[in-house]
Amino acid sequence: MKFSIYPLSYRWILYILLAVYAIVTLIPFLWALSSSFKPLSEIIAGDFWPHHFTLDNYRQIFLEQPLFLRWLFNSIFIAVCVTVLNLLFNSMAGYALARLQFRGKQFWFLLILAVLAVPAQVTLIPTFLILKSFGWLNSYQGMIIPGMINATFIFMMRQFFINFPRSLEEAAALDGLNTLQIFWYIVLPLAKPAIAAQAVFIFMGSWNNFLLPVVILFEPEMFTLPLGLNTFKGQYISYWNYIMAASMMFTLPVLCIYVFFNRYFIQSVTFTGGKG
Amino acid sequence: MSPAILGLGLFTIAPILFAIFLSFQKVQLLGGIEYEFVSFRNFARLATDDRLWIALKNTAEYVAIVVPAQTILALILAATLNAGIKGQNIWRILFFLPTITSSTVLTLIFMWIYNADGLFNQALAWIGLPTYNWLSDPQVALKGIMIMNIWSTAPFFMVIYLAALQDIPRSLYEAAEIDGANGWQQFRYITLPQLRPVTFFVVAMGIIGTFQLFDQSYIFSGGSGGPNNATLTVVLLIYQYVFRDLQLGYAAAIAFLLALIIIIVTLIQRRIFDQDPT
Amino acid sequence: MIYRCLQFFALLIASCLCIVSCQILTPSADQGISPLGQGDRPVTLKLGGWGSSPAEQRLFQKVLTTFEATHPHIRVKLETVADQYMDVLKTRLIGDAAPDVFFLDSFEAPFLMSNQVLEPLDAYLTPDFDLADFETTLLAPFQQDGILYGLPKDCSSLALFYNKQAFAEAGIAQPPATWDELLADAQRLTRDRDQNGKMDQYGLGILPDLARLVYLMRAFGGVAIDPQGKAAFASAAALKGLNLIVQPYQDGIAVRPPDVGANSGTEMFGQGKAAMVIEGNWAIPFLQETFPDLAFATAEVPRIQDQPGTMVYTVGYVMNRQSSHKSEAWELIRYLTGKKGMALWTGGGSALPSRQSVAQALHYDRDPLRSPLVAGIKYATPWQLGQYPAAIMNSFNNQFISAILAEQPLQQALQRAQNSANQQIQAAEQ
Repeated sequence: MKFSIYPLSYRWILYILLAVYAIVTLIPFLWALSSSFKPLSEIIAGDFWPHHFTLDNYRQIFLEQPLFLRWLFNSIFIAVCVTVLNLLFNSMAGYALARLQFRGKQFWFLLILAVLAVPAQVTLIPTFLILKSFGWLNSYQGMIIPGMINATFIFMMRQFFINFPRSLEEAAALDGLNTLQIFWYIVLPLAKPAIAAQAVFIFMGSWNNFLLPVVILFEPEMFTLPLGLNTFKGQYISYWNYIMAASMMFTLPVLCIYVFFNRYFIQSVTFTGGKG
Repeated sequence: MSPAILGLGLFTIAPILFAIFLSFQKVQLLGGIEYEFVSFRNFARLATDDRLWIALKNTAEYVAIVVPAQTILALILAATLNAGIKGQNIWRILFFLPTITSSTVLTLIFMWIYNADGLFNQALAWIGLPTYNWLSDPQVALKGIMIMNIWSTAPFFMVIYLAALQDIPRSLYEAAEIDGANGWQQFRYITLPQLRPVTFFVVAMGIIGTFQLFDQSYIFSGGSGGPNNATLTVVLLIYQYVFRDLQLGYAAAIAFLLALIIIIVTLIQRRIFDQDPT
Repeated sequence: MIYRCLQFFALLIASCLCIVSCQILTPSADQGISPLGQGDRPVTLKLGGWGSSPAEQRLFQKVLTTFEATHPHIRVKLETVADQYMDVLKTRLIGDAAPDVFFLDSFEAPFLMSNQVLEPLDAYLTPDFDLADFETTLLAPFQQDGILYGLPKDCSSLALFYNKQAFAEAGIAQPPATWDELLADAQRLTRDRDQNGKMDQYGLGILPDLARLVYLMRAFGGVAIDPQGKAAFASAAALKGLNLIVQPYQDGIAVRPPDVGANSGTEMFGQGKAAMVIEGNWAIPFLQETFPDLAFATAEVPRIQDQPGTMVYTVGYVMNRQSSHKSEAWELIRYLTGKKGMALWTGGGSALPSRQSVAQALHYDRDPLRSPLVAGIKYATPWQLGQYPAAIMNSFNNQFISAILAEQPLQQALQRAQNSANQQIQAAEQ
């Protein structure tokens, strides 16, 4: 039984509002999708639907770019590594901040906040110099290691764990489980929705990441998808047709990931009434 | 945890420490790196930089409008989608689309939509509202970016709220139902208080993200912050100093001023939302 | 405590595995960087540049392949920077990781030239390279204190593009030769065909961007920057020049792209929303491909004060001072800016050659569309703003738009922009 906060009679108004909002979110996306099937002149003319439907934009990107599959592989490989490492580290760190009573907890929290508050633009050149000194320019580890932990999601996981009923963990501790076991067997399964959300966000973040790779990846073979697809931009002329087709190619995988994890966001979690 | 802390230290803290060091230096970066200690001169320069104050004002206005709007929108969307309506999965995918699309692509799409003859003006005219030249009228340029950002960031926080709503023990609602609480009362007295830690996170992330607004104003203004400084933001200013003239020392000084403001605002809102300010 | 340690080691091992697997997967980048003496192994040069349309990318790759075929001891590795070219390049220069040879826009050249990161090229020049063949307006942007740091790969000047059909409709036989004629024609070409109170066609399309405007200031003796490199456009002369587009805009016979829902001057011209625009060579292939039905022609930019004037934009090849293969790098530059290489590249039609002899060989000086552009190169103002170009350009564009929208008087906007730019420059020089 799902709980409901709306009386049944208002439901139809709700559906209308949802539909209106869905249209608002969908139109820009549809517009880009339809543009990706138009020749450039039609995009400029600005009509919504294509008059001369063409696959030429996609053909140019796929067939004329021998490295397309390599870019796809690079992007997926990097995003998967980054996501797995992040899920592990962020969840543990967040749990530690929310539960463990170690000294300097307040310090760690402030540190995370400070890390988030400094904009990336100012740390880019120092990061570049550090990666260079490691010899990690133009490499996968240069992309993965700096991104393997993310202060935003440590913070997010902390906020989730704070709300968890402690009683379960206390019971488990009485049963003789150590902290790691409690974390692994009790806490993590309960945190599935938060972890699913985190997985989507981190994957998305790595997938869309542009600032770091554009600086540290030199060779076309090492490019990630956004870099490779961005080389269509002209100096004076913007080839919107290719840009739109490329951005569709680029958004699709993330959409798939989201659809896959989507079911975890609303899921009848196991500890219903766990506190009772 | 140790490798994580090591990673965090090496690639997150070290660049920041380096930037702190730079903020007290005059740096020559090209053709051999040279430093010259200038003590607080970079910070003294902050007070005399007119553009910084314009940027701070723009940014503050942006934060004050966007953060509450996107948080409330996200909460409404999440609560609605969680209320057992039909076809939840489809709605959730539809609503999430703007967040999946990268901000660069979205900004490009919006440059078309915000055109004088673009979709947005057509829609406004159809409802009978006044139309604007969203891209190049200083009066509305920042508002255009606000609308776009509220629309594209709210689904991100919606997902976080959706996940958080799952963690609220069902027993609380059952108990409330027995006590005869209606839907609104349950939302008001159970859901909202239970969401407080996550709301703290959502608002904090909103504050950080909006104070660091860059992509949209960069693309809309071609990097200049125009028209007439209407889209000049603090991070755009930092970017200009870092990459255009390589004045890393001064850029770092601005960055720390910004960081300080973000931390203070976040700590204030923590008093309001966070249950466990240990 | 034991589990903590176990946990730590497990993660450490996982991280190590991850790093190792990364190294295996990473292609060894340094194959070509061998000491010069290593005999027959070819040297790999890195060439840095930005992206372009697929057709241009193919053409450029073909030029490089031809180079490699004639210079078997050199391999060229193209490092395309996807976006923010100068930011990326500066970062890589700081980290000693920049390519051996790279593209450099004339606009950005003074900053790099004065920062000692470019190799002076004078010592490499030989008589058979025929430096005199280059237009002087294109070499000057890459010279500082008499030293040459770059060679222009190609260029484009601005010319007047006009819609032939619109001209015929308005009964105009000849393209305007002076700015006064241009404004009179623009008046006649501004039309509201369906009488709905909204213009369907404007006479002149303008871009309120300093990059397109410096020659207007110069027509009356104004300048964008003074010899010290400070902004100096808040002068009566510059004001007069800028008024040549501000006034028509405020009179409603000129229009900007966002006013008519376009993203560039070329687009609004192609759509017929502006009957005349002042654009560069890049517009020719774009218009021919995208608007095949459009009948258009070009003419030299109308004379102002009885003087010809236009802008010219050029991109040069420069050599990294840190390069460890300087003689090979020079061979590459010599080929790409030499008569053969340049003819191959500019023969594609997307840019004009910077050598007079190549322009003649390709018949661009007699081509009806391109000859006004080629003629303009000689008297054009090169696009360059000294060592702090961003401060000057951003301040100008920022304020000029609000002046053109009549939010503030032009005089005040220029003064504000100049003060802001010079404040920034002064702070940077401290």
